[in-house]
Amino acid sequence: MSAWSELILILVILTNLLLVGGNRLTGLIRFAAVQGLLAGLLPLLVHSHAITARLIFLAALAVALKGVAFPLLLGRALREADIRREVEPFVGSELSTFLGISLLAFSFWLSEWLGIAQAGWLRLMLPVGFFTMMTGLFLIISRHKALTQVLGYLVMENGIFLLGVALVGEVPFIVELGVLLDAFVAVFVMGIAIHHINREFNHMDVHLMARLKE
Amino acid sequence: MNGLPQPGLAALVLLPLAGCGLCWVLRAPKRILAVTWLASLLSALAAAPAVWACLHGRALQEAQGWLALDALSAFHLAVMYGVFILSSAYAQIYFDGGISSGELSLAQVRQFASLWLGSLAALTLTLVSNNLGMMWVGMEATTLLTAFLIIVRRSPDALEAMWKYLLICSVGIAFAFIGTLLVAASAKGLVQDPGQLLHWSRLMAAASGLNPKLLKAGFLFVLVGYGTKAGLAPMHSWLPDAHSQAPAPVSAVFSGCMLNAGLYCILRYGALCHALPQLADWSAGLLRLLGLLSISVAAVFILFQNDGKRLLAYSSVEHLGIIALGMGLGTPGIFAALFHTLNHALGKSVGFFCMGRLGQIYGTNDLRRLAGAARREPVWGNGLLLSLLAILGAAPFAVFLSEFLVLKAAVEAHRAVVVAVFLAGTCIIFISASRRVIAAAWGEPAAPARLPGPRAGLAATLLVALPLALLLCLGVWMPGPFRGALERCAAVLNGGR
Repeated sequence: MSAWSELILILVILTNLLLVGGNRLTGLIRFAAVQGLLAGLLPLLVHSHAITARLIFLAALAVALKGVAFPLLLGRALREADIRREVEPFVGSELSTFLGISLLAFSFWLSEWLGIAQAGWLRLMLPVGFFTMMTGLFLIISRHKALTQVLGYLVMENGIFLLGVALVGEVPFIVELGVLLDAFVAVFVMGIAIHHINREFNHMDVHLMARLKE
Repeated sequence: MNGLPQPGLAALVLLPLAGCGLCWVLRAPKRILAVTWLASLLSALAAAPAVWACLHGRALQEAQGWLALDALSAFHLAVMYGVFILSSAYAQIYFDGGISSGELSLAQVRQFASLWLGSLAALTLTLVSNNLGMMWVGMEATTLLTAFLIIVRRSPDALEAMWKYLLICSVGIAFAFIGTLLVAASAKGLVQDPGQLLHWSRLMAAASGLNPKLLKAGFLFVLVGYGTKAGLAPMHSWLPDAHSQAPAPVSAVFSGCMLNAGLYCILRYGALCHALPQLADWSAGLLRLLGLLSISVAAVFILFQNDGKRLLAYSSVEHLGIIALGMGLGTPGIFAALFHTLNHALGKSVGFFCMGRLGQIYGTNDLRRLAGAARREPVWGNGLLLSLLAILGAAPFAVFLSEFLVLKAAVEAHRAVVVAVFLAGTCIIFISASRRVIAAAWGEPAAPARLPGPRAGLAATLLVALPLALLLCLGVWMPGPFRGALERCAAVLNGGR
């Protein structure tokens, strides 16, 4: 089983690097969907010795939301806005990839520093969680389009999901449920906001929204 | 006991939601607004016995410890209800013109009312949660609900402010959740029942056994995360925009309740750090640092601020900074900070009420163009002047007293830098803001008002006068039971010592 989990974690790292380096929005949404799918499946592998109905329900919900619902929502917003390419990001593709790899290194250092010695491949889970979270944060900060920022938020949520499994293993059910639903509502709300922004401004370039300042 | 929450604290969360449902049945906009006020009042009345008992030293727990009320949360709950009752009453006046002229549709009023009561429910959940995860859910729900309150009247500016608010605070809240996870990890093995892993009272009881390194990392994440919601610098960048674009009653709730709720969450984690000798000084130092930073940033931006609502918003950054600073100054500081929380909430609400109404009447928030407002609109003009003087710390209003107590705590702790920065910041803010607001209230009129508007009635006068009178009373005389209640709140943070 652990070989499978390791494979999934490495795939998550790969999706992160693709997300950081990519500049086609449709592609980015697909990577995020794959990542959500992988993240949603992980709890099943972690607790493979004791699969309960609760665990299956949560994993199914996570996969349905992160792997299917969110990408669909974002895809619809994208069609509505009629844009295909993330033009001129603040940070270029090559530099982004380089920064992504630096973030990965930093995540490993941070996990070492925290010093939670865990058996076997769980060691890998914590840094991958941090890395995914930081990838999301990086996307939010360094990209122009409101849609890419939502995508960044989504990736961040994936990272937090992984961190939750790595750090606590079993967060109380109601909290886990609340977190998943919160993420769902957040993305939904952001989608509505994008819809309004698009209608009012005829674009969703966040850096062009700069009327409110000192 | 079974898993279902029994009526009591859970009912406090459900009551506003029931009002929410009622809003969708009614068809008259003014009645819907009246429901928001009634629901706030009823919730406050329902909570009153429990709040009263807890302020006198009792502690309630229900639903297997998921919900709880102690002196600290009871105090914050009381402040929240006060602000909500005042602001919902004010909303009737604020939206009256818009409803009469048809500018606000039934759908918009419904949207406002249900989001308003939803926010009340979410804030209540945050305050009555004993479980740190549940508390987080409440805070996140608050963010999502209030985002749409900013764009009740849709405009490009409001949308821009809403987007910033939504994104920055969502990221902040995500950080807070990572902090929550780290704290949960730090308690691994200490709490037997995994369902109670995040119960604050359980963590407090086992605090000495928490893993210091993980708790330290967790507190950092929580401080940045909830600090964003509390509007502490340097995470405050959403605050001036959201406060200035939101309708005035919403701004009052933002400043009077939501920022406090963010800081309240930090305090719960601060108490955990305080229980570990090696982290106590470190966490208090961080609170002091963010506090001073907020005061300084606010001073710089208020220096050149002519927009009345933005001025009030930056003043909120200042005051939350003062509260955070007090929280980092030991028991006397915590006492002063809690007192300041109440004072700031009252004064700032009145400030937003008056500024919002004047903004409607003059069609601008530019203080220079409001010149002579007190002669034209005695209630709102004088109210703005007095409330601003009150929150700037003019004696004998209570804010002066609480700021003085924070300063005293800093002097007694021999913190020279804190004293210097605090004095410099508050003085700069006092001078630059009072100069502008005095000119706005009593200066020579520069521009004609946009609409004559109905004269402020008795209700408006009371809304402005009552909180100010209360601030005046508390500034001159602090009743014994009130002092006792504040001391009990401070004791909660010291682990009951």
